[in-house]
Order: sequence, then structure tokens, then C-alpha cells
Amino acid sequence: MPQLAGKLARIALLLLALGSLYLVALHKHAQRDEIRKAAVTLTPDCTEKLGRYGLAPGKKYASSYVAERAGASVELRGYSEEDVRAIQRGCNIIDDSQGALAKDPWLERWNAKRFIRGNHVSCDHCHRGIGDLQDASGNRLPGSNSLAASWTMGDMYDRFTGLLLPYEMRQMQCYINSSNGYKPNLADDVIRDVTAYSRFLSAALDLKIANHYEEQGIDEIPASATLKQGDDYIRGEALYSEKCQGCHGLQGVGLEVDGKLVAPAVAGPNSWNLQSRNNFYFVSTILAGFICRNMPPGQENSLQHQDCRDIAFYISNLPRPAGDRQGPLAALRQQLLMAVMPPLLRLSASGKAPVQPPLDHASARSSQHLPVDNGQ
Amino acid sequence: MDAARSHERRSWYAVVARVPGLAALAIIIAFLLWAHFASGISVFHSDVSSEPGWQKFRSDHGVGYFGEDGQFVRAVQNGYNLFFHTYKYASRFTRKSAVDGANACASCHTVEDLAYSFVNSDRFDPKLGARASFEDRVRRCYAGSLDGFVPTVYEPAVRDIRLLARAIAHHLQLGEGALRKEN
Repeated sequence: MPQLAGKLARIALLLLALGSLYLVALHKHAQRDEIRKAAVTLTPDCTEKLGRYGLAPGKKYASSYVAERAGASVELRGYSEEDVRAIQRGCNIIDDSQGALAKDPWLERWNAKRFIRGNHVSCDHCHRGIGDLQDASGNRLPGSNSLAASWTMGDMYDRFTGLLLPYEMRQMQCYINSSNGYKPNLADDVIRDVTAYSRFLSAALDLKIANHYEEQGIDEIPASATLKQGDDYIRGEALYSEKCQGCHGLQGVGLEVDGKLVAPAVAGPNSWNLQSRNNFYFVSTILAGFICRNMPPGQENSLQHQDCRDIAFYISNLPRPAGDRQGPLAALRQQLLMAVMPPLLRLSASGKAPVQPPLDHASARSSQHLPVDNGQ
Repeated sequence: MDAARSHERRSWYAVVARVPGLAALAIIIAFLLWAHFASGISVFHSDVSSEPGWQKFRSDHGVGYFGEDGQFVRAVQNGYNLFFHTYKYASRFTRKSAVDGANACASCHTVEDLAYSFVNSDRFDPKLGARASFEDRVRRCYAGSLDGFVPTVYEPAVRDIRLLARAIAHHLQLGEGALRKEN
């Protein structure tokens, strides 16, 4: 009899645990539903961008950008209020992934930060102009990593993964490698809302499915686009000290002032990991292309191709986290390097000439959020 | 003499000892040859079965834009097979058979419908009370109209339908939210 009672108690305990889990799941589900229904407070840049493209609920949507540039209005399917809120949250995620500008990071961007390691990385650092970089005249810039063009070219074969890579999975890779973070579920709102935003951008710019657009991806710089002097670590270090260190810091660990990010890390624990496509040893052409196109702020396109490759080579030699597929030994090695190298270098650099002073706070803030003419 | 006989015996034993290994190797090779060339099981060969009408469809819908052959083109071809012969290529996800009516996506939709649906997906559906992706709709079709089961979102039976829709959307030069003229 006592045995039976014990068994029943164990079964009851198990049922209670399962029931509690079910109730928690229901509660979380209801919470998510509430967030989806809540009004979204946009970042200033998103307010400007989405306002300029005329995003509003309605049965039809006609892009003011297209009307202005083509002189004719194209009528597309409109957006419901739910769709508009998803697009708004997607824009917030891209513009301010860390939620630095958010009153409530869950409400306004699903707390995207939980999928990112460190407090530096934001999607907008690579996908500049909130994924839609334009010059002052509203021309979309080639090689600007446009999210809209990237969406239209989704599902194509990706040589790095060996997959026909859906747009959503590409986002996952960004979280895992470029943010050195964690993988969201494919159906997570954090992924779906960025897809909604990217799709809206492609509607606003009137892009067609699977057409090639110059703003897609980064205009990469292969060795063949240089004088083939060889990618030089020492030359890269000198250039980095002269052009980049003022903002990105010694060892590329980034710069924060008063707890606010001024320039993101390009190495160290807050940066992308060894399996990111930004890593020169993985793909040698992408980071160089990004540097030439976007850096230094205010002097974009001023560096020679070889300079960009040298800087990219130098940066990629700085210690950074191992990729998630590289195993614990590589992870340990990288962690040790990240802990040991910066103080050692600071020590050895203390005897050298001082580096360029950091930008003042205001210009640094503008450098974080689109230094070039972006048409905003 | 004895030594020679003993040596001969040892050689013979060495050959006999290798038999199981050689037999295993032969079985593996035979299995690979059968799997790739004779089994007809799609998972063993990278080619997609060519159904009647594919070549005409391919040229009529500009699939060649994506290359003569390639991962994407093969996925589109599989999408074509799934769309027009669903009962055959997605038999795991439908209870319909060759003799049933409405046993394929093409029984209810055209490929143009598919393309327009693709560029208008990821939108709020008041009936569902949620935003529905293209994949959600395909999965619902399997479970509902095709009287079957819900595939996962990663399943090629879903993915290749989306890729077919993407290829057709390109052919029709559709962009996000494109409306049909009759709308």
C-alpha cells in the first residue's frame, strides 16, 4: 500500500511538472501575442526611413521613393497593422540590435540582444543605412550589403554552407558568427520581423525577385584587384594605427564612452568570430571590400585596394572568439589570446608614440550611424 | 618439401583470411552501384527525375536564367515534380494517390498563382489571426487540401515549392507585394 502511494505521488509530481511547463508555455505564448499587438516605438533613424517610404496600414501600398524616382506610382498590396508593426520591429532590430535606444527591448525588438554575445554588435554596422544605404540623392550604393537586394536573391546556392540558403537561415548565420552569438529559431519573431522589414524595403525600392542588384552584398576586393604586392601584416598594422585605431582602439577592441558605444570592436570578445565571413582567413575579400567602401568615416573610398586588404589581414590576425564548429581547444586558445594579448600590447605600446586621439563623441555617434550621405 | 608445403598452406590461409573483408568490400561496392544506378531511390542520386513536360516548362518559364544545371535548377525541377505530381513525389505528406482527384498542387493552382502567393506571403491573415509565411501555406495545403500530414519547414517538399515559386516570380518579374491585374 505505501508502495502504491509512493508511485502515485511520483506520477502526480511528474504530471504537476508537465502541467507547470505547459502553463509557462501558455504564458509565454500570450506574452508574445501581446508584444505583437503593442504599438512600436521606432528609433529616430527608423522613423525617418519608414516615414520616407510611406509605410502605413492600408489596402494598397505605393512607394513614394519609386514615385519620386520613376515618376510613376506602382500599386502594391498594402500592409495590415500587424504587418506594419512587424516591419517596424524589424527595422529597430537592424538599427539598434543591442536595444541601446529602447525603453523596452522586448516590446520594440524582441530583445534581439539575447542572441548576441557582447554589447557591441548591431546589424547596422555591416548593413549600413539600416540595410539600405543611399547617397544624398537617394541613389543606392553598390556593394552596400542591402537587405532588400539580399531578400530578392535569397534561396540561392551558398558555397560556404553547401545549401540553397533561405534568407532566414542567413540571418541565423549572422547571429552565430558575425555576432558571435546564439542561433534563434527559424520561426522566431526576431527572424521573421527582419524578413518582413527586408521584404518591405524591396517593395519600397521596387526590386524584382532574383534580379541582380549592385547593392547586394559587398563589392569584394580580391588580390587580383591590387598590384599584387602581397597582403602585408606589418603594413596593415601601420595603416590600422594611422587610420583605424583612433576609433576602434588598440587590438581592435572597440571604444565605449560613458557606457555608450562609439566604435564597435573589430577584434576581441565583442567582435565577430573566426567563422564569420568577415574573417580574412575564411573569406579574404569581404572585409577588405567593406573597409574600402565604408572606412574611415568621412573619408570613404579614400583607401587603396591593397591598403584595405592589408588592414583586413592585420585585423583578422588579432585575437577573436573561435567559431562554434571549431571545438573547445580552439575556443580555449582564442580566449587565452584575448585575455593575454591586449595588456601585453598596451605595455609594449606605452613606450611608442601616442596614437591618433579618438573622435569627439558627437562625430563618433554619427560615425556609428551612417557617416556617409545616405539620403536620410 | 615440408617447408614448401607449409609456405603454400600459409599463403592459402592468408587468402582465405581476406575473404570476409573482400566480400564486405564487394557488397559495399555493389550496394553503391545499385543505389546510384538501379535503385531509383531519389536520395541516392543527385539528379532529379525528369517528368514529361519539364523541358517545355523550363524553356517557357525561363528557368535557364539560373543556369543549365545547378543546385537551384535541380531544386526548381523537384519543385515542378512536386507541384504537378504531388501524390508521387510527396507521398509521405499526402494520402492522395494517382487514382484520386485533386491529387496535386496543380489540381487547384497554377504556377503563376504560386508566384503571386510567394511575393504576397509573410502577411497577416485575419482567418488565422497571425502572419502566415509561404511555407505555412504550403504546409497547410499538405495537411488540408491534400488530406495528408504537415511537413517541417526544412523539408524539401516545402522548400522546393518555394524555389519553384521564386523562379516563376523572377520569370514574371514580380516584386514584393505585386498584384495581379484582375485585382
